Amino acid sequence: MPAFRILIIESDQQETEALRQLIAKWEYRSSAGCVLPASMLCVADAEAALRAYDEFIPNLLIFGPNAALATSGEAVGQLRQCMGVEPVPILAVQELRGMGADTLSLAACDDILTKPYSPRLVQLKLASIRRFCEFSRSLMAQRDRLRRHHADFLQEQANAREIFGNLGNESCLDDTPAIRYHLSPRAVLNGDLLAATYTPDGKLVLMLGDFAGHGLAAAVGAVPLTSIFYSMIPRGFSFARVAREINRKLYDILPRQMFCCLAMLEYDPRRRHLRLLNAGMPSPCLKRADGALKLLESRHLPLGVLSSDQISSAIVNIRVLPGDRLFLWSDGIHEARNSKGEHFGESRLLALLRQTADTSAALDPDTLVFDRILLAVSAHAAEQHDDLSLVELDLSDPGLRRSGCPELETTGDRKGGRIGDWSINFRLTEIELRESDPLPHLLSVLGQMPGAARFQEDLAIALGELFRNALEHGVLELDSSIKGTDDGFVRYYDLMAERRNRLSDGWVSISLCCREGENGGRLTLVVEDSGQGFPAVRETGSIYAGRGLALLDTVCTEVRFSTGSSRVEATLVWGENRDPRPENGPESQHGTMQTPPVPV
Amino acid sequence: MVISERFESRVRSEVSEDGEELVIHVTGNFDFNIHRDFQRAYRNANPVPKVFLVDLAATDHLDSAALGMLLLLRDYCVEIGRERQQPTVELMNANAHVAHILTVSNFDRIFSIR
Repeated sequence: MPAFRILIIESDQQETEALRQLIAKWEYRSSAGCVLPASMLCVADAEAALRAYDEFIPNLLIFGPNAALATSGEAVGQLRQCMGVEPVPILAVQELRGMGADTLSLAACDDILTKPYSPRLVQLKLASIRRFCEFSRSLMAQRDRLRRHHADFLQEQANAREIFGNLGNESCLDDTPAIRYHLSPRAVLNGDLLAATYTPDGKLVLMLGDFAGHGLAAAVGAVPLTSIFYSMIPRGFSFARVAREINRKLYDILPRQMFCCLAMLEYDPRRRHLRLLNAGMPSPCLKRADGALKLLESRHLPLGVLSSDQISSAIVNIRVLPGDRLFLWSDGIHEARNSKGEHFGESRLLALLRQTADTSAALDPDTLVFDRILLAVSAHAAEQHDDLSLVELDLSDPGLRRSGCPELETTGDRKGGRIGDWSINFRLTEIELRESDPLPHLLSVLGQMPGAARFQEDLAIALGELFRNALEHGVLELDSSIKGTDDGFVRYYDLMAERRNRLSDGWVSISLCCREGENGGRLTLVVEDSGQGFPAVRETGSIYAGRGLALLDTVCTEVRFSTGSSRVEATLVWGENRDPRPENGPESQHGTMQTPPVPV
Repeated sequence: MVISERFESRVRSEVSEDGEELVIHVTGNFDFNIHRDFQRAYRNANPVPKVFLVDLAATDHLDSAALGMLLLLRDYCVEIGRERQQPTVELMNANAHVAHILTVSNFDRIFSIR
């Protein structure tokens, strides 16, 4: 520890000497036990003191009796200002007999030394001042440490925000006005996350998650979660499979008390089919065009809690009607407190959603619901409450109906490299059909074939439709007409999960054949299954009478199937030989139908 | 240290008369601030009880950190179960709000709730 520095300001030599001797006798014993002398500098007046500061920064300033009389309050203030951030006490010597005289403006000083000096009192005072200085110095050091830590913390937060921002780079959240979202930075750093992307066959998959706990530690889990999401979904893995993978991964890496509440949905805008998994999130709310609200409660433990899961049975299937909107939020909204400590709560939120429905005829304020909720929550919250995540999805917005990844958008224009001549066959047995999700594997194998990447999206759609048809109607013998009602829609998918689990016998075979000529080519996709084949009279609800066919028809040049057979052949043709249909050969004997008119 | 005293008083534990249950009472907000006290409450139990009973009668609110603490308690029981009879965790007296949170997160599937 450096010596204690005392600056004495006094014009009279004798007075200076008296003070000097008084202080020299004083020995200070620090808290550590060592004896430390004081170093002194004597100057004649305040101006000289200011000049002395450059070389001698004092810990204590003492005005002698004459200087105390001669120095103005302003000069003292100036001295004090120039001493920097550490407080330096100022003492003034005052003659006892002159008490009451207007000497140095006492208000500007911290204390006085009375003259004649009592050595004992002076030393006590010096010792107490010195302790005070040590205390303030350590306080200052602590403050600096805190400042540094805080600056580091802010820097870390900024880095983390940037990382989390980049995690969202792959998302399609900003690509369409159909998705509105608010995700406050603080919510992100507290572990909220939002991700959305498209599957290869054009379904939107979106998830809103909330990691347990607070602060950066909670947010760290977002990294593996989003990387799984953005790597698996665009490859065509089903969202249930992805959710299962996320659960497994989080269970493996998170400390036991950490987990992630997650609402994850898959929306097929072409079929208007919404599937949703709610694992511990506040119920998302489906707002129907007629104003009815449907809450989609959590049916699963948060992810990362157990190594096993019941994800398939926790998924709900919803048929979306025109005008439906879906709202999702995290508990930051529920838990916003007002000055009385009341939570904002779900009921206020639902009232807002409902209320706007009543007045919608006059104002069409539907577009404002989102903003109203945010406004209401911030109006409710007593303190600056910025821990909000809110998502609104306009399910009938045509903006959602788009192709998958941007780099595949060129599929309509199949110019470029060679496609090649190749063929490939798969046969999936009951074991594969029971548990796994074969499509992504097929698609990734196909992705390796020369040139195939250029029609990956169409292929994914056609393959998806045909495979689903073979599995659901052929192997599992499900009747699409069940899906006619809302209840039936749900029952259909429950039934499917059940039959699939128990499947003991069945197969689906898929073969692809690609031929490329001089100016074009054709890709033929044939799917067959172990089922009964198409009935002679097609029910109106059958997949090929409904959207499935419409969809196939949009991506394929030709779709052929025949009654009594499970064989479906879909062809994608490109280039110049698009129009003529030269090779109708072997198929025509099955009584091939050309694509029938598409019922809407 | 006034602050820590305030938190300390929010977790209180006692052994039931037959000595088989350790009842942990949590008052007010069951959140991260009490995690040390909550952990101390069950780790210090000697002998280890057959049931850890978390009494939520005076619990106003429960957040995700609290759910995490319950998972830790559950894990602790599994750990004990490697050497002797595994204790169970039960929750009781949750008010409507707290019960709702437990149901939403489906914690009623892994904890028995009285």
